[in-house]
Amino acid sequence: MQQPPQQERSPTEFLSNVIGRPVVVKLNSGVDYRGILSCLDGYMNIALEQTEEWVNGQLKNKYGDAFIRGNNVLYISADKTRKREPLNIQ
Amino acid sequence: MTEETHNAPVEPNAVEGPLDLVRLSLDERIYVKLRGDRELHGKLHVLLLFPAYDGHLNMVLGDVEETITVVEINEETYEEVIRNITVLESQWNFTSEKNTSNEERR
Repeated sequence: MQQPPQQERSPTEFLSNVIGRPVVVKLNSGVDYRGILSCLDGYMNIALEQTEEWVNGQLKNKYGDAFIRGNNVLYISADKTRKREPLNIQ
Repeated sequence: MTEETHNAPVEPNAVEGPLDLVRLSLDERIYVKLRGDRELHGKLHVLLLFPAYDGHLNMVLGDVEETITVVEINEETYEEVIRNITVLESQWNFTSEKNTSNEERR
């Protein structure tokens, strides 16, 4: 019966704001993937560019493009520590 | 009741999805990271014009090499020894795999 106020900030809005920007994607395994968020879908499948794989705070690998299957994703966070690259996705 | 439940896509007319990245990797050698410290290198096939993957990320790969990484502890020195074991080397089409955790185009 409660009508929640129309919130300006929804998860969807957060995600669309963060597309094309540096993000940290943490997986359920605890591994972090840092890169530019190219796109994602409703399953949280994610395509990243300029990806870095961080395990226990250590850089383990770099990938040009990476696809992350959505079931593994714990969260997506905006990465403010990384300089924003001039990338226009669309 | 709620109208917004159907609005799954982030952009209404966004043709680009993450799976397009996989589509762009067709006919290329890819690296697939799996659960349990296993990884595959192989070529993502196109079978009779049909792409050899689906929305579950089932994939058909060719010329596959599967590697399992194990960490062993040396009983004398207690050092951690990282061993990479090549499990599978196929010359031809093989393998459908699920539970991919990460996939990268090479």
